[in-house]
Parts: sequence; C-alpha cells; structure tokens
Amino acid sequence: MRTGIRYRELLLALILLLAGLPALSFGAEIRFQSNTLFRLFERDTVKEANSSILPGYEYLQIDAGELDDYGISFHAYGWGRLDFTDNDYFDDRTAGELLYGYLEYRRQENRCSFRLGRQYVFEGVANEAIDGLRVSGDLGEHFSLSLYGGQPVGLDSEDGRSGDSIYGGRLAHRLGANYEVGVSYKTIENDDVTAEELLGIDLGLFLPANLSLSGYSTYNTESEGWAEHSYELRIPAGSFVFKPFYHQFTYEDYFDTGANAVNPFRALAQFDEELTAYGLDANWRYDDNWTFGGKLKLHDYDQREEAQTYSITFDWQGEEMTQYGGELGRTVTDSAGANEYTLVRLYGYCEAMAESFGIDFVSSDLVLAFYDDEIYGEDSSLFVSLTGGKRFLDDALAVKISGDYSQDPYFEDDLRGMLIVSYNFAH
Amino acid sequence: MANKRILSILTLLVILLLVAACAGLQSNFVPPASHPSEADMGMSTKVCTDCHDARGEFLVYERYVHTADYGMNHRAQAYQGEAICAMCHQTSFCNDCHATRVELKPSIRNPEKTYRSMQHRGDYLSRHRIDGRLDPTSCIRCHGNPKSAESCVRCHG
Repeated sequence: MRTGIRYRELLLALILLLAGLPALSFGAEIRFQSNTLFRLFERDTVKEANSSILPGYEYLQIDAGELDDYGISFHAYGWGRLDFTDNDYFDDRTAGELLYGYLEYRRQENRCSFRLGRQYVFEGVANEAIDGLRVSGDLGEHFSLSLYGGQPVGLDSEDGRSGDSIYGGRLAHRLGANYEVGVSYKTIENDDVTAEELLGIDLGLFLPANLSLSGYSTYNTESEGWAEHSYELRIPAGSFVFKPFYHQFTYEDYFDTGANAVNPFRALAQFDEELTAYGLDANWRYDDNWTFGGKLKLHDYDQREEAQTYSITFDWQGEEMTQYGGELGRTVTDSAGANEYTLVRLYGYCEAMAESFGIDFVSSDLVLAFYDDEIYGEDSSLFVSLTGGKRFLDDALAVKISGDYSQDPYFEDDLRGMLIVSYNFAH
Repeated sequence: MANKRILSILTLLVILLLVAACAGLQSNFVPPASHPSEADMGMSTKVCTDCHDARGEFLVYERYVHTADYGMNHRAQAYQGEAICAMCHQTSFCNDCHATRVELKPSIRNPEKTYRSMQHRGDYLSRHRIDGRLDPTSCIRCHGNPKSAESCVRCHG
C-alpha cells in the first residue's frame, strides 16, 4: 500500500492548519466533508490480463473559522489513494494531492481578502493553482485590484521547484451595473526561464433592455501576438435567452507557452492555424419544470475545412431535486478523413421513486455515441450508470452504491462498481 | 535573472503597500459573505431573478442566472465576479470539474449528480479524438501544464 501525499504538502497543510487554529478559539465554525470511495474493475496490467483493480480514495475537505461571515478562515481540500491489490496499474500515477490549503482573512469594508497558502486563482488571464499569497479588494467605489505571487503548482514536477515563480494581478474599473472592464497580467517562470507571459482584457458591458456583452482578449507577450478573442452577447427575451458568441484563436500565440508547453499541445504552436468559432446558445425556460436548450457552433479554420457542432437539450425539474433530462448532439466536419459522431444522452435523478426501493435517491445515466467511421473496429459506444443511496444521521452520512457498464472502442463489456461513504460534520 | 526577480519582488511589495494604503477606501457595494442556502430558503437559488431584479443598482443579477448551459458557460462571470460565486460555492465545488490533479473524472467522483453539467461523461476516450481535433483550445484550459497533462502524456508522450 502506498500513499502519494508528499511530506512537503503534508507540512504545508499542517502549518496552515496551525495558523488557522486561532480562528477556532473564539467559537468560530468548523466543517469537514469526507468522501471515501472504493472502486472495483478489471484492467490488463503488465503482469496479468484482466487483473482486478481495487483502489480506495479519500477526498477530504476542511473549513474552519468565520465561514458565513467576513473574518479569518482556513480551507483545505485534498485526496489520497490506497491500492488494495498487488499489481502495477497505478505505478506511474500520483497517489494523492493537496488541491488547496490556505488561510484567508476577509474584511467587509472594502471587500479586502488576503489568502496565504495553496490556492486557485481564477481571474483575468489566470487559471492557476499557486503556493503563495493573493491580495484583493476594492479601491474606492469604482476600482478593484488583486495581486498574487508565489510558485506554480503545475510545474513542481519539472526539475523541482527551484527557480519556479508565478505572479500577476488584475485591475478593474466598474460603474455600478453599467460596465466592468479589467486588465490582467500573469507571468510564470520555470527554472528561471519565462514559461508564460500573458496580458488580458476582460469586459462586461451591460446595455439597455437587459442586453449584455461580455468577453476577453488575451495577448501573448512572448510570441507577441493575440492568442484569443472571445465575446458573447446575452439577449433575454421573455422566457428565452439567446447568446450569440464569437471566439478567435491563433494557435501560434495560444499554444506557444514556452517552457510551460506540454504534449500534445506543444506541436500545435508550430501550425500556422487560426480557429474562428461562432454560433448561438439558446435557452427557453418554458415553466418552473421544463427547460429547453439548443446550441449551434461553427468552426472555421485557416488551414483546414470547416466543422460544425449542433445540440439540443431538455430538462424537467420536479420537487426534492428530482430531475430528468436529455441531449442530442451531432458533430460534423468537412475535412476528408476526419471522423464525425452523433451523441445521445438521457439522465435522471429521483428521490420520490427511490422510496419504493427503500432508499433515498436513485440516479441513472445513459450515453450513446455513434461514429461515422469505425474506431478500432467499433462504430458506437454505450455507457450506462446506475446509482442508489441512503442517508443517515439527519442526512450527515450518505452511503451510495454505483455500477457502470460500457462497451466502446477501447473497452469491451467493461463493468465497474463503486461504494461511496460521504460524511459531513459541522460544529 | 536575479536582478529581474529582485525587481519583480520589489514591484510586488510596492503594489502591496499601495493596496494597504488604499485599504481605507470604502466600496459602494459590499455583498454578504454568503448567500442563504437552498435548504434555508426552501427553494432553488439557481434563478437569481426569481427574487432579485435583473439589474440591481450595483450588480447585474441576471448575469448569474444558472441557465441550462451555465455549467459549460460561466467563464466571464467567474473571472469578473469570483466573490459573487463564492457566496454559494466553495473552491471544492469548482474543483469538481476544474481540478485535473484528482485522478477520477468528475462524473465518476459524483455518480449520482447526473443533472450537473460535467465534462467527459461516458466514453470520452473515443470522443476526445474528434473533439480535440475540432477545438484543442478547450483541452489546454484544464490540461495545459505538465502536472495537469499527466493523463494526456500517458498516451501522447
């Protein structure tokens, strides 16, 4: 048995946990959520065909301090895996990870926030996990600023962490509910070599008649070219919402992220390709129960022939989270030799019906794909999933049993089972 | 290179001091730290405009209405209004889909939540050959660095 959470990450979590203890001393809240999963399936390994694989996973989330109000709080979330069988299936895989673990101070007056530790940064051109510090807040009535700096988590497997750094920020200006425009910057260094340097502009423009325009443009300062322009117009009309959109990507600038680039994307930067995707998303909320959706997306390339994706969805929502829905989609391309497929999905989640089986909820999922050209001799995929569960201890404890079956180009008659025990604690 | 790093750190410190200096400035809109839960309210909180005006004085509530495609189409809201998202969702909720360092794909970790838009449902191994060719930009957003590309590198080298 092995556990993959490394000492450094455990130490980081411990330090942050200790740092968070003062928050508990004045009667603040503590919550933790544990999800324990046991999976059983068969795979071919180096040593044996149809070898049984039986891993156990623990996903643990801890939150402590002022959780529903401004103040000091601590947040951590991570997972680990134990392999209960003696085979090589997991040999080259990470067996655990601290996803985040940070101490946060939030001040109400100007929405000031300080976060220290491992955390995710989603803003402007940043979509990163970092070990470091992030500070954000409003600068008066119309400006807000956020800054972050530290080490990028995504590069810790590349020649260690020495010389790795990430920093950046976003400055935004807003005028009530009229508009918000932001300018953001991010730079990542890997072993003292610039891996990625991006500048971005994001826009939210709120027009009369509840129309709104939002989007972002990203400039790659390393390759000195615009990597992306993505904009969307939102048009509400009664119970309908229409969203025409436009995306433009220049591969050389979008995928050329220096030392940060990885396969299979590194090669794409060498193609002199530009993708323009545009289309329409439509939603219709017929009543409190029924919602319908449709999407049309056209892909136009500089080098290749065009491609299109279409889909329609429906969803029925009843009481007690009961929900049924489906999707029908089609992907087509004009490129010779490129495959196309049709996707059908039906799903359901029901609490009322589950009672007749002596359980609290049951869910199901069916996904069918039909390929125009065979993949490894198969022209379709079938995936079926069924899950049932029961809650105990005033819903704090839930036990779920799930079974999946699939028949597709990669797996023939593949049956998988899973037992999940979820426990929520709050004090 | 060392000078560049020192300059960067000094720049960061100066900006942090600037933030500290400006900390006395007041916002004109301070949302509550958290939104009442669906259980507390006895109703779904996905349609903000069921209770709020589409346009508030300082916030466009309609922008955050969770339409059927919201699960696949909320990037602008998250990048500009993280604090609004955080009123209902903790980072772990985002991590259900946005963490690629968790081994199990979202629909396996949450098998009963069939109603949530989660990427890669069913046999995505076959479909990714087609989708990835159509629009590889959507792959790199989550699998774009050496750590998050571990699952790609196993086959793609």
